Amino acid sequence: MADDLPIVLALLLVTVAGTATVLTRDPVRQVFALAGLGLALALLFAVLQAPDVALSQLAVGTALTPLMVLLSVRKVRRKARSERREEHE
Amino acid sequence: MNGWLAAACALLLVGFLPTLLAMCTGSVRRRVLAQNLATVLAALALLLLSQGWARSSYTDMALVLAVLGPVGTLIYERLLGEELRADRPSRRVTRTMTVLSVAPVPVVVVPVCVAATPGRTTLKLLFIAGLLVAGSALCTRALTTPPGGDGSHG
Amino acid sequence: MSLRVRMVVLAVGLLGLAAMLVAAFRKLPGFGGSWHPYGQRAVETALGRHTSNVIASINFDQRAFDTMGEQAILFGAVLGTVVILRTTRDERRVEPEPARVPAPLRRYALAVLPVTLLTGLYVVAHGQVSPGGGFQGGVVAATALHLLYIAVDYRALQRVRSVPLFTLADAAGEAGYPLLGLGVLMTGASFLENVLPYGTLGTLSSGGTVPVLNAAIGLEVAAAVVVLLAQFLDQAIVIESEDGEQGAGSVGDGDGRRGEGGAA
Repeated sequence: MADDLPIVLALLLVTVAGTATVLTRDPVRQVFALAGLGLALALLFAVLQAPDVALSQLAVGTALTPLMVLLSVRKVRRKARSERREEHE
Repeated sequence: MNGWLAAACALLLVGFLPTLLAMCTGSVRRRVLAQNLATVLAALALLLLSQGWARSSYTDMALVLAVLGPVGTLIYERLLGEELRADRPSRRVTRTMTVLSVAPVPVVVVPVCVAATPGRTTLKLLFIAGLLVAGSALCTRALTTPPGGDGSHG
Repeated sequence: MSLRVRMVVLAVGLLGLAAMLVAAFRKLPGFGGSWHPYGQRAVETALGRHTSNVIASINFDQRAFDTMGEQAILFGAVLGTVVILRTTRDERRVEPEPARVPAPLRRYALAVLPVTLLTGLYVVAHGQVSPGGGFQGGVVAATALHLLYIAVDYRALQRVRSVPLFTLADAAGEAGYPLLGLGVLMTGASFLENVLPYGTLGTLSSGGTVPVLNAAIGLEVAAAVVVLLAQFLDQAIVIESEDGEQGAGSVGDGDGRRGEGGAA
């Protein structure tokens, strides 16, 4: 049992982060929960002795995914802002 | 289960889990600061795990995280700049976060360095430690200094 | 088909699936065991071919054909994104504005750019020796380039990032993989068989064709990520819809043709 402790802990972290990601509605705040989920998943893959998969997760989840999500948010907000201005005129 | 793995578990439970919770709740400012700390703690946990299994090649995970973690924080700072600037943390918060993210690095890396076989692995560990300290300290500062002070046009 | 019939068909399907899953799970080896029929054979073959990273040996040697399909998925996904996010007729491209980035931040990001690029290349090059490989390293290397956008602004990134060039590199990496397989076919061996000398175990020159295929994947992934992010960055910064621009009271002169050049 003691040998499985890291795996149990990593699973717990994934559960917490995954639940938080699903429960967060605002995309900007969700990015952080998603980044936390990425880190937790990387740790889980690491304790399951899958460093290649953990590396993939770290490479994609740390910088690439947040950048893509935040760029999408910026695009949507810009559009909403110009539409709101249009309504005021 | 040896001491390194036990230390990694302790770090995950006492350090990483609360940081993860801070990342998932509260204001954007708090989440960014917690995210910066979480990458440092995760990288240190990966170092402890690789030492616990005596697999020096596993340190590559910590290396990639040490390189990309601050990049992620810079992305948040760049793209959420307006929100973050409107809500700068106090000096005390900055100092606490800097201490929290810098202090564990030598505490973990020095014993791992001593235990690891000297040579390329030691150099790699020190390199990772340098990246972690420089990256997290600077990112924490960047998140708290007022912008444009000494900035210039791109 | 009425709703009831549909539900019955669904229930039959679900029951069948459940029965098969239960049957499959009963025969699974226990969690965390040290013995596995595939694992043992894969490790033996990998070491026989002097590849110390067994995963790389499986991905790029023992079942290299599967990996060819997997990289085609990424290629197709990026291609789809390029088509969907292109500049449409009712959109226009504007000049990106210069950004003000605090000086210490800029210095750090610029200092870390070559380090990140080097780490990416290191992960690609050591794919046959230690964890990592073309995909992981390619993503890290592509991220490095975007530090230019974070540290300076989008114009600085645009200056060094020629999207047509990276599109070509993406296609070259994508085509390189099957072409290598065809090259192997020319020597009389089967498609994508490991025909190069195996080299010394645990060194950079080991694994035969594994590092070569890894390099092709690294090129494809790095270029694909750059092209993919180029679409997202263009949408977020450069492309504006015509009516939105006029609503903002700017120079909406209705020059619709400017937007027809396509995203690349």
